[in-house]
Amino acid sequence: MIEAVFVEPWPFWAAGLGIGLFVTLFAWVTGKPTGVSTGLGSACGLVSSCAHFQEARYREPWRLMFVLGIPLGGLLAAALAQGTGLRPTFELGAFERAISAQPMVKAGLLFLGGALLGFGARWAGGCTSGHAIVGVAQGAKSSLVATAGFMVGGVVVVNLLFRVIGG
Amino acid sequence: VRAMFLTFGALFGFLLSRARATDYDAIVGMFQFTDLHLMGVMGVGITTAGVGLLLLRRGQAPALTGDHRIEVRPKPMRPRIFVAGLVFGAGWGLSGACPGTALSQVGEGKLYALFTVAGLLAGTYLFGITRTDPTVGATSGGSQDPAQVPLFGAPVTRECR
Repeated sequence: MIEAVFVEPWPFWAAGLGIGLFVTLFAWVTGKPTGVSTGLGSACGLVSSCAHFQEARYREPWRLMFVLGIPLGGLLAAALAQGTGLRPTFELGAFERAISAQPMVKAGLLFLGGALLGFGARWAGGCTSGHAIVGVAQGAKSSLVATAGFMVGGVVVVNLLFRVIGG
Repeated sequence: VRAMFLTFGALFGFLLSRARATDYDAIVGMFQFTDLHLMGVMGVGITTAGVGLLLLRRGQAPALTGDHRIEVRPKPMRPRIFVAGLVFGAGWGLSGACPGTALSQVGEGKLYALFTVAGLLAGTYLFGITRTDPTVGATSGGSQDPAQVPLFGAPVTRECR
């Protein structure tokens, strides 16, 4: 059992079940919707005087704590998982094939990707957790449209990277 | 309470990693339709969350902590939300991460993800400063729904930082 949870790879249904149960448990225990990108706005609110970041949803202190916890979970998972272990790496997996470039170019592309994620998430009002999982689970029209955009954007860019540019 | 949310965050980061949502190969496979693992994860996740949240609502269960209200409701529709989604999706495809998984990747020791997280904060910040229209702030104290403020076209002054 411990092996199956911490060491061996999870089948898709177990991972989906885990995430779905997490969202439910989080709502039940805390009363809050699972969401990450608004917490990044809270982080901006720490240093920004912009009125946007003073809005009520960014001023919920739990969001920053939730966001800060996520890397700890990633660390734990990697440290115990089969094969990987906690080993700092510059590997980008499949992306190495598409963008086999200078380290600075890779860093720049990831920064640009991150910036598109951050801007798009605030513009859409949520990210993969808030819209694609929690929003779609409630059947919200806004989340269905946003998630359709997420998937189309991802399909277009990845196929451009791997089929057109990366060959 | 802080420790509780930190723990929930850690659990979420753990699940994202175990789900391989932080795995660059799995992201590329999903968007090229060559590896449907993450599609399956999202499908089962959405279904499970749908049933779970419905049961909570039907049972009118109070939240176990805080003020006991469950504040999980559908998000309001916004203009151009599909275009906003395309921008986000482009970032997902380019960086091989989304906001939650980028943070989990950093924890896993994927060092390039530090640049993704830096970009995330920069993009979020950029949205905030383009949305701060002084005329809006003057009349409503900045409480106006940002979705109602046009993104382009409105005079934007950078009076905040």
